[in-house]
Amino acid sequence: MRYVLIGGFLLSILGVAVGAQDSTPVVEARVVTATDAVHPNSVARIAVIAQVASGYHINDHHPTLEYLIPTELKLEPTKQATVKDVVYPKGEMKRFAFSDSPLSVYQGTVVMGADLEIARGVPAGMVTLKGKLSYQACNDHACLPPANVPLTVNLKVVRAGVPLKHMHADVFDRIQSE
Amino acid sequence: MIEERKEASLENNEIPTNAESPPPPKKASAAKLLAGAALAVAFVVGIYYVNLLWIAPAVMSQTQAKGSAQHPLAPDFTLTDISGKRFNLSDYRGKVVMLDFWATWCGPCRIEIPGFIALQNRYGNEGLAVIGISMDDGPQPVVEFYKQFRMNYPVAMGSEKLGELYGGIIGLPTTFLIGRDGRIYAKHEGATDIAVFEDEIKQLLGENSTAESTNFKQVGQMVSNDKIELGNPAEINSEVPGVDISKLTAAQKTTFEKHLEGIQCTCGCNYNLLKCRQVDRACGVSRRMARDELAKFLKTHV
Repeated sequence: MRYVLIGGFLLSILGVAVGAQDSTPVVEARVVTATDAVHPNSVARIAVIAQVASGYHINDHHPTLEYLIPTELKLEPTKQATVKDVVYPKGEMKRFAFSDSPLSVYQGTVVMGADLEIARGVPAGMVTLKGKLSYQACNDHACLPPANVPLTVNLKVVRAGVPLKHMHADVFDRIQSE
Repeated sequence: MIEERKEASLENNEIPTNAESPPPPKKASAAKLLAGAALAVAFVVGIYYVNLLWIAPAVMSQTQAKGSAQHPLAPDFTLTDISGKRFNLSDYRGKVVMLDFWATWCGPCRIEIPGFIALQNRYGNEGLAVIGISMDDGPQPVVEFYKQFRMNYPVAMGSEKLGELYGGIIGLPTTFLIGRDGRIYAKHEGATDIAVFEDEIKQLLGENSTAESTNFKQVGQMVSNDKIELGNPAEINSEVPGVDISKLTAAQKTTFEKHLEGIQCTCGCNYNLLKCRQVDRACGVSRRMARDELAKFLKTHV
């Protein structure tokens, strides 16, 4: 009886693991800010750190072939903050079984940067921007449908003159223009 | 308290002992052992013959009548191809159908297409019909691709719902091989060697159209668990996609849908649960949440 119960328990764990695998996204992403707060009438830097599951790749923002769906970071502007610039990393040139020529793709950890313009009269408090990271992932022999990772950018606005603390220098050092 | 529990538990697990010593074990005689062994052998032989003469034939005849779970009937559908011609899958009964779910943005799909064109040329007269189901968002790139690659078989625009009927198309390409009898014999996920398809097509072309093939041998790797699983129409056609609410009355359905509208989906979509199910059928988070809510609803309302 004890062995039956243990077996049942192990099977239930296996079931949960399989179920989780079914809904695990190929790309996960999070947002970090360059400073602990931002000033009105300034440019705030944020980074989106995307993690592409092992064995998969997503397309470069400027894909090698016309038919490929590019990776894109989209943030919805508000009255308090608008997107000034988005910086995508340079893709890696990789060969795949399904393509005669190498393709420029992102694999592993991908860091994108965005400069946000904070409006002049924004009072102290929290500012939130919604957005998404759009991508289309493939492995060497199959592709998944285009998908989005929803993103939320929370910025703490403080009065001009309040000193800002710099954060995540290692992440922002990785951001390089293509 | 813990100590007390431990003691109680130990007491419960104790082997009961008597003040008197237990009776000595009886020695089994050789004759009794032999008789027992003979009975056991007779029992096993009996079970074997009962299975051979009654159970197996009954299961076999039932399988032949309904079709085996291994080769399920391909769900029928009606679509209009990109040239404007309407067709049903059932129109192709009697032919071997190669049903290819693909997209123009999918490199592994594109590399297979010239091979499919060649197979259609080579085996079309013998009864092969290749059908392409594009999972692109719109027809424009598909029409351009069709012309550029001089495709020689019908291509229609698919949908998530159609994919769900075929068990959910998670990765592209996904290709089904359907026999002359309308049953699915193979499902290949990902780019597959054209020789694998050719071998399997030749096998299916050699079968007659009425009986289920029992000789079909899968050549290449099919799917991870080697099972062809189709979607549940009650879940696919539900007002809450992915959740079977067919057992609810009309009033209960309305109540349940309103209940889902009051719950926020946690997938990050910013929709309520019902809206997320309707907008994003593939969302695993809202599907699981809505199914959990249905289970609770059934306990309290039905």
